[in-house]
Amino acid sequence: MQVSVESAAGLQRTLKVAVPEETIEKVVATRLQSLTRTAKIKGFRAGKVPMKVVKQHYGQQVRQEVLGEVIQSSFYEAVTKEKLRPASSPSINTENDEAGKGLEYTATFDVYPDIKIADMSGQKIEIPNCEISDADIDGMIETIRQQQVSWKDSSEAAGDGDKVTIDFKGIIDGEAFEGGEGKGMAVELGKGRMIKGFEDGLVGVTMDEERGLDLSFPEDYHAKELAGKDVHFDIKVTKIESAALPEIDAEFAKRLGVADGDMDKMREEVKANMQRELDAIIKNKTKQEVMDKLLDANKIEVPAALIESESQNLMKQMSNNLLSQGMKPDQITLEPSMFNEQAQRRVALGLIMAEIVKDQGLEADAAKVKNYIDTVASSYEKPDEVVKWYYGDKQRLNEVESMVLEEQLVDWVQQQAQQETKNYTFAELMYPEKK
Amino acid sequence: MKSERLMKVLLGPHVSEKATVVADQGNQIVFKVAPDATKPEIKSAVEMLFDVKVKAVQVTNVQGKTKRSRSTMGKRKNWRKAYVRLEDGQDINFIGAE
Repeated sequence: MQVSVESAAGLQRTLKVAVPEETIEKVVATRLQSLTRTAKIKGFRAGKVPMKVVKQHYGQQVRQEVLGEVIQSSFYEAVTKEKLRPASSPSINTENDEAGKGLEYTATFDVYPDIKIADMSGQKIEIPNCEISDADIDGMIETIRQQQVSWKDSSEAAGDGDKVTIDFKGIIDGEAFEGGEGKGMAVELGKGRMIKGFEDGLVGVTMDEERGLDLSFPEDYHAKELAGKDVHFDIKVTKIESAALPEIDAEFAKRLGVADGDMDKMREEVKANMQRELDAIIKNKTKQEVMDKLLDANKIEVPAALIESESQNLMKQMSNNLLSQGMKPDQITLEPSMFNEQAQRRVALGLIMAEIVKDQGLEADAAKVKNYIDTVASSYEKPDEVVKWYYGDKQRLNEVESMVLEEQLVDWVQQQAQQETKNYTFAELMYPEKK
Repeated sequence: MKSERLMKVLLGPHVSEKATVVADQGNQIVFKVAPDATKPEIKSAVEMLFDVKVKAVQVTNVQGKTKRSRSTMGKRKNWRKAYVRLEDGQDINFIGAE
C-alpha cells in the first residue's frame, strides 16, 4: 500500500492511497469461493455451481463490496501510519477501481489542530471579591418587604402609591374605540405604567367619584392606530386601596422562615442566602475569566467540520427553545451560519480543555463528585434515592463528572496563572446590567 | 438459407451443469432452438450470429415435464436442444455479445 499526504491550506489534508491489485484479488477470490457453497443459480444444484459461473454472476458485485471495505481499512491504516487525527469523515474520491489495475483513491478531510498549551503563568486572572455589608442586607430586606406589600381598603382620597380600581371608557372623536373600555381595572398610582397623565389625573379621586380625563396617546404607542390621538376617558372609581408595607418585626421574620421570629437570626439567614448567590456568581465570573484567558493564550485553528456540526447543534437547541416558548415552526428562520462565531469559540475551548485534561492527567475527583451529588440530593425529600438515581445511571454520573472536571480545570488554570483580586460591591456583582 | 429464418432458429443458451461440463471437455455450446430447426440451419445460425466456425451439431428433442396442479394434469411444451461443437480455438462469450 502506497500513501502520500498533501497538506492543503489550514487543517485540510489530502491522502493519496494506492492499493495493489493482488490484495483485492485475493479477498475477492476467497469471497467467491465461499459463495460457491451457497450460491443458487438456475440450472445447477446447490453447491455444484462451478467457480467460473459464480464469478460471472457475482464477480462485479463482490468486487464493489470488497473495494468499499478495502477503502475503509486502508484509510484507517494510512491515517495511523501517517499519524494524522481526522476531525471529519473523509470525502473519498476513487480515481481508479477497474478490475486488474488495483485501486487508487484520494481522501480529503480535516485534522485536529496540534495544540500546545501555552504557559499560563504570565496571564493575569481577575477574581472578584466582595464582602456583604450591613447596608446590602438592609437593602435586600427592603426589597423583600416591597414584594410582600399588602393592600388595605381606604376611604380617603387616593394619593401616590395607592391602588385605585376603576371602570373606564375611552372616546376618540366622539366614538368609543376597541380596547378602550374596561371594568375593574386596578391602577397603581405613581408607577408610570399607564399612558402619560392617566395616573396623575387619578390623584385625589375619592370613592365612587366620576371623573373625565382629556389625554393623548404618545407618538410611539404600541397600538399604531391610536398613537398620537387625543382621547377622552370617562372614569368611575369603584375601590381605593392604600399600600401597607409589612413592619420588619418578628412576624416578618417568621414569614421568611425563621421559626422563632428572632431578628438577628433573620439577618443571618438573609445574609447566608445572599452569600450563596454571591458565591455562585463569583464562581461563574471566575470561570468565564479563565475561559477567556485560555482562549486568548491559545490561538488555535479549528476544523471547519467541527464548527459546522456545532453550529447545527446550537441552532437545534435554539429552535427547540423557541418552540417551547410557543413560536410556530414556520416563524423560526434560523441559519446554522448565524451561530458560527459561538460555535468556533465552543469548539476551540473544548479542544483546549480536552488537551489540558490529557496533558495534566486530570481526572474527576470521586470525593468531589460525591460531594456535589450529596448537595443536590439534600434539597430533595428523599436524598438517599436521589443519590442512588445519580449513581445508577452512567450517563447522569458522567455529566456530573465532567462538570467536576471542568471545575478542577478552572482551579488548575488559576493556580498556574497570577491571581488578581478585584473588589466589587454586592450590587455591582448581582445586577451588572444596571451599571 | 434466408437470414430472416436464421434469426428465428436460436432461442437462447441453455445453462446447466451438463452444459458447463461439455463446454469444458469438448468445446460444445448448448442452445435451446426452434422445434423445427435442422442441423444445417443451426450451424449457419450460430456461425452468422456469433461469427465462429462450427465443427458439428447434435440435436435432441426434450419431452416437456408433466406438472400437476391440484387434480388437473398439465404438460410443459416439448423443446429442442442443440449441442454445437465449435472448431478448436473458437469460443462464444455470451456476456460480451450482449
